[in-house]
Amino acid sequence: MEYVKVTYPTNRFVYIDGEKSGSTNEVLRVDAGTHVFELGKRANYEPASQEVIVEGTTVLFPMAIAFVRKGG
Amino acid sequence: MGMRVTTCITAVVCTLLLTACGSFPRNPPLARYDPSAGYRFDQLEQGSNSDELFVILVFSGGGTRAAALSYGVLEALRDTRIQWKNQTISLLDEVDVISSISGGSFPAAYYALYGSRIFDEFPNRFLYRPVQTDLLKLALTPAGLLKLAGPSFGRSDLAAEFYDREVFGAGTYADVIAHRRRPFVILNATDMTIGAQFPFIQDQFDLLCSDLSGVSLGRAAAASSAFPGALTPLTFQNYAGTCGYRQPEWVDLAVKDHKSRVNVGRTARAERRLSYTDTEQAPRNYIHLTDGGVADNIGLREPLTAIASVNNSWSVLRLINLKKVNKLVVIVVNAATEPATNRDKTPDVPGLVDTVTAAATVPLDNYSFDTLEMLRKTVNEFNEEMRLISGCKALALGKGTQCALDIPAPHQIEFFPVEVAFEYIGPARERRWFKNLPTSFELPRETVDKLRTIARQVLSEDREFTRLMKALHGCLAVDGQRC
Repeated sequence: MEYVKVTYPTNRFVYIDGEKSGSTNEVLRVDAGTHVFELGKRANYEPASQEVIVEGTTVLFPMAIAFVRKGG
Repeated sequence: MGMRVTTCITAVVCTLLLTACGSFPRNPPLARYDPSAGYRFDQLEQGSNSDELFVILVFSGGGTRAAALSYGVLEALRDTRIQWKNQTISLLDEVDVISSISGGSFPAAYYALYGSRIFDEFPNRFLYRPVQTDLLKLALTPAGLLKLAGPSFGRSDLAAEFYDREVFGAGTYADVIAHRRRPFVILNATDMTIGAQFPFIQDQFDLLCSDLSGVSLGRAAAASSAFPGALTPLTFQNYAGTCGYRQPEWVDLAVKDHKSRVNVGRTARAERRLSYTDTEQAPRNYIHLTDGGVADNIGLREPLTAIASVNNSWSVLRLINLKKVNKLVVIVVNAATEPATNRDKTPDVPGLVDTVTAAATVPLDNYSFDTLEMLRKTVNEFNEEMRLISGCKALALGKGTQCALDIPAPHQIEFFPVEVAFEYIGPARERRWFKNLPTSFELPRETVDKLRTIARQVLSEDREFTRLMKALHGCLAVDGQRC
């Protein structure tokens, strides 16, 4: 099991590999490997998506994946 | 003139005979890929079945022995009362998914088709019936022999017709879809060529561009229980490339990881999916399915993937991340036996049949052992997270309150891995008796009834089930006692 924390200024859904899989600013479990992270159709955030290889994390040190407000 | 007439008659007779020879019934093509239609977990209505208490049942293979043991567990769950959301309900009403193999697929399929009618009908329709003898008689009739002469029609096709007619009332997946209710029942067969599980769900049939709704439950059960040797594999046509199907996004991503081997299991799952949709390099026009027990005789691998991966069509991990699941219950009904042998009482070299049988069954048994170990490891992994976080907090707090740590944790669940197996029968003599039952599609009525009773007994005594009952203020009555 691997762990990620997708950050964004507000609470919104996190899409992993195109599927709704949790919320921002929370620790999420994910299987190891290459994944694509997005925040859904309301595209007021950047980058538009992030392709990341998730491996070597622990529950104490989840991988941080940051999104910011577009133009923010 | 006479010669010509004879030739004509011979030609007509031959043609008639050839047309009488069986050919496998084609699984229907899918007109257009539609992820919002077909037999899929997310298309079923929950009704009053909540995600917060998520229950998965797993029915192993083992002929009528497995069918009766699984049926006994269904009866016991029906009679288990729990307190849930200020109501007293049956635990069976909270079952979300059933994954089954071979013999276990018969009660699973019947429950998918007919719901609670199973408790009135299934014993006489299947459990008490001499299915094996009936199948043998059918194969030896002139009509049966003629059908079996066809190269694309085997004994399992004949068995599928029998199950459709005599057990499942010709029910198809269209009938199951029409109920639109949980549990999501997954009958598993084995793809002979890639040696992997082949679940009867639309997500799998999408790969073939085939419409599962036109497939009968009898045929699915026949594929799941096509015991190698005694029964033949079943053929399914692959129409890949004709329905506009798109693989889910994770498949390409997982294939990218092939070289880095960051998650070989995930990559292998992705590559297996691609083997069905490859229409250029190595197209597979027909898929041959054999007994689900060849790939996993417990039926637990697919649920384990759903629990540990976000890349699954009915991912439980996604639901956990979305904080929908609080209690996860996995009840494994394992009808594995351990037949006694006189092999070690003599210095004689074991015979060919004995040796080949051991070579075929020992790896399967070891694999089943590992599968159950995987379940325990998965449970530990979830529990370990909280232990680690609590430990760190306690250590920091030991340095003084000013050192208290706020460590964010993923959504925590309570995990209840329950196992119903002959291994856990208390009295040694009784345990030995059950562990020496044969694998067959017919057992004496008394044996079937004993299996139904022992299922309830072992379930009620399971440590994790007892813990679950405490957590849910529940009760399962045994031996005629009331709760």
